Amino acid sequence: MKKVNIILAVVVAVLAIGLTMLGAGSIVGAQSGFLSWLSPFLKGGAAVQQGIGAMGQGLKTLDQLEADNRRLVTENMELRASNQILRDMEIENNRLRVALDFRERSLFRLVATRVITRDASTWWNTIKINRGFEDGVEAESTVITDIGIVGKTTTVSKNEAIVLLITDENCKIGAYVEGSREKGIVSGVRVQNSQEPELQMNFLSKNANLQPGQKIYSQGVGAVFPSGLLVGTVKSFRQRELDGQAILTPAVDFSTLSDSFVIVGER
Amino acid sequence: MRDALTVLGLVVGAFFLLVMQEFIPPMGFLSDARVNLIPVVFCYGAMIVPFPLMLVLTVAIGLMCDFATVQVVGGSAEIGLGWSVLFYLLVGLICQGLRPLVLRGHWELHTLMSASTAVLLPALQFAMITFRRMEEGGFFYSSAVTWKILGPGIITLFVAPVFWFALTLVLGRRTGFQRLREI
Repeated sequence: MKKVNIILAVVVAVLAIGLTMLGAGSIVGAQSGFLSWLSPFLKGGAAVQQGIGAMGQGLKTLDQLEADNRRLVTENMELRASNQILRDMEIENNRLRVALDFRERSLFRLVATRVITRDASTWWNTIKINRGFEDGVEAESTVITDIGIVGKTTTVSKNEAIVLLITDENCKIGAYVEGSREKGIVSGVRVQNSQEPELQMNFLSKNANLQPGQKIYSQGVGAVFPSGLLVGTVKSFRQRELDGQAILTPAVDFSTLSDSFVIVGER
Repeated sequence: MRDALTVLGLVVGAFFLLVMQEFIPPMGFLSDARVNLIPVVFCYGAMIVPFPLMLVLTVAIGLMCDFATVQVVGGSAEIGLGWSVLFYLLVGLICQGLRPLVLRGHWELHTLMSASTAVLLPALQFAMITFRRMEEGGFFYSSAVTWKILGPGIITLFVAPVFWFALTLVLGRRTGFQRLREI
C-alpha cells in the first residue's frame, strides 16, 4: 500500500475517533441539521405512503369529505386526550385535596402531530413526528395519545422530532399501580416484538401480587412525564429474589399509531 | 473524474436508500429484522473506486448512517458519532484488498462482503449496547437477537447481486469481465 494511502487512512481514523468523543449537545445539533436535510424527503415519502394507503378509501368518498373527516378525527382525539388529562387530574386532585387540602395543577397545551416514519434502526424503538422546535416542541417533551403515553422526544429539528417510545429500554417512567400503593419503574425491553410489545415494571415489592388487567399510571416524578397518564396494563407478575416484576402491555397500540400529541407546556 | 462521479452517485444513492429504509417495515418472519441496503452500496463503491475515493465514501456514508441511527437519551449517546465511519473504514480496507479480484470478475465477493457487513454492523451495535447497559439491564439474549443480526445479512445475500449488476449498468461502470478482456 502506498505511503500516502496509509496516511490518508490514519487521518480518517483519527477524525472518526475524534467524532466519537463529541458531547451529546454537539451530536444533537448535528443530527438535528441532518434531520432538517431529510425532512422534505421524509415528508414526501410519508405523503406518498399515506396516499397509497388512502387510495382505496379515496375511490369511495369525496376528497373534501375525507379532509373534513381527518380534521374532525384529529380534533376529536385532541379533545379526548385533553379530557383524559383532565379526568386523571380530577382524580388526583380529589385525592390530594383530601390528603393535603390543596394542590394546584395547570392544564397542558398539546400540539397535534402525525407519525412520519417508524425508525429503521434495529436496536432502538423510535418514531419520527412532523413537529419540531418551530411548533414549540422541545427535547424531553412527553408524547401522548387519547389512550396513554407514547414516549418522549429526544432530538428535535425545525419541523421534525424523534420520539423514543416507551417500549425502548432507555425510556424509563416512574409509575404506580391503580388502586394500590405499589410503585415502580416502567421501561421497555431490549429486543421487542413489534406484534406484541411488552413493558417491564421493576422495583415493586415482592408481595405486590399484581393481577392481570390492573392499570399502571405515570407517577409524575422526574421532569418529563406528568402524573396520571395511562402507561399500560398488567399482563403478568413474578416474584424475584429482592423485588417483584410485572410485565405490562402498553396502553397505546404502536402498530397502528398515526396521530399523537406533544405536551408543550402548561396552559 | 469518472470515479469521483461514481462516488458522488453512490453517496446520493445511499442518502435516498436511507430515506427509503425509513418506510420499509420490519420483517416479521425474521423476528422484526430490518433491511439494511447501505452495505451493498458501500461495498460496491469500496471495491470499484481507488483508495482515496474509498475514504471519501467511507466518511460520507459512515456519517450519514451515524446521523440516521444515533440516539441521544438523557444527555448521552449510547453509540456516538464516528463509530460507523470507523466500521466502514475497516470494511473499506478489506474491500480494497479484494479489489483486484473483483475487477477480474469475482462479483460474488461483493455479495459476500455486503452480507458480512450487514451482519457485523448490528452485531457490533448490539455488543456496544449490551456493554453500555450492563449495569442497569445486564446481559440480554434471545433468538430474536440472532435473527435481528442475521436477518439483514440474509436479505443482503439476495439483494446484493441485483444491485451489483444494476449499479454497474446504471453508473456505466465496466464489469470485471470486460476489464479482464482489456487486460
